[in-house]
Amino acid sequence: MLRESHTAIVARNERWEGEAATEPFEAGWASEAIFFLRALAAEGPTGEGRAHVQISPDGIRWVDEGTSTTVPARTEGIAVLRVAHFGSWLRLRVSLPAGARLTPIVTLSLKA
Amino acid sequence: MSATLQELRLADPRLSRFDPMRRIICFDDFDRGYCGWTQLVGNYEHTLDSMTASYATHTHPQLATVSHWDAGTHGGVDGTYALKIATRPKRGIRSTAIKRLTFRQAGPIRLEFYFTFKPEATEPRLSETDVRSVGFLYDLQTGYEQNGLRVMPHIRFLNAQDGHHIQRWQYKDETTPLRQIGTEGKTVTHDHLAPFGWKDVPGGEQKLCYNEIPTKINWHYMRFDFDLAAMRMIEMQCNDRRYDLAGIPSIVMPAMRNLWCMLNLVFFAEADADKRVFLYVDSVCLSGEF
Repeated sequence: MLRESHTAIVARNERWEGEAATEPFEAGWASEAIFFLRALAAEGPTGEGRAHVQISPDGIRWVDEGTSTTVPARTEGIAVLRVAHFGSWLRLRVSLPAGARLTPIVTLSLKA
Repeated sequence: MSATLQELRLADPRLSRFDPMRRIICFDDFDRGYCGWTQLVGNYEHTLDSMTASYATHTHPQLATVSHWDAGTHGGVDGTYALKIATRPKRGIRSTAIKRLTFRQAGPIRLEFYFTFKPEATEPRLSETDVRSVGFLYDLQTGYEQNGLRVMPHIRFLNAQDGHHIQRWQYKDETTPLRQIGTEGKTVTHDHLAPFGWKDVPGGEQKLCYNEIPTKINWHYMRFDFDLAAMRMIEMQCNDRRYDLAGIPSIVMPAMRNLWCMLNLVFFAEADADKRVFLYVDSVCLSGEF
């Protein structure tokens, strides 16, 4: 049996300011995941923002997994967050400083 | 269908819960993965901003274990995983999942699947009116040599509206006007799931088992028969009830130049509260009489 693999688009062309998060994504079948946070547009000091992977016991309550990185500072920049051993749910939380506005596309690459 | 073929299917635990027509076109058991089900993205050209807003908020389907905060994993009908269609937490919003095929024989086809639905269990109460509806549709176009129609049969189970528990099957034969996308004259869009024009299937009231707390689910059987030659609905069955659909119209419009023999299958869910709602499907069997 080939390893299951799936690419999910979990946010696309939204306008993020301040605190934002992707919708919960259930992927208990996967053992590894990569979030690609690509800036379709970056306005203001987006590069001072942080992106954090979050995990959840139930898809409702969220805790930081510990993996984080800076948000792309410019349009077409891509941030990468790799995780494994994450349980059943994943989402990406982004915190942006005042005056920053991000139009993201978030790709979640999953593999069994 | 021969008695031998029937007996073989009844002895196969993957198929014994279905009554497929002679040829199984696809059998999607979500313990094998996504099986071709994906996000229904709206049409666009040059910029994503040209996408219709109600499509832009569709989410990506998930392989779910149907797990809850209070009781853990529920699982699927016969394994661990089910396909999950999840809305965002906003009243009136919808989400979908799609599988894109084409057909090779314009004749009768049968869609069978097991499904259940619940709102996100964010409150310790039954919340039975938080799911507005769950449903399915085909997006079809005749072959080039046929009569040049795009046909979209839509069926939904209207579970609740404005807090009232309704529990009734409905169909839809209206869509929005076509809207040109971009500048190249190659792409149009219309919002066939826009929330208007739903009509009651005659005798379509049905009391489904929805259990007693928001984290207990029961699976329901669904069968939908359609004729690709006449492009007409035939009949459907949900659990113990059958509905004659012979006089039920679909959304019909002139054929489009790029969609010949299209056979798309779509599942959808609509929220009736500011809460995520989930449609789970496990498994899907599409068959044809050829």
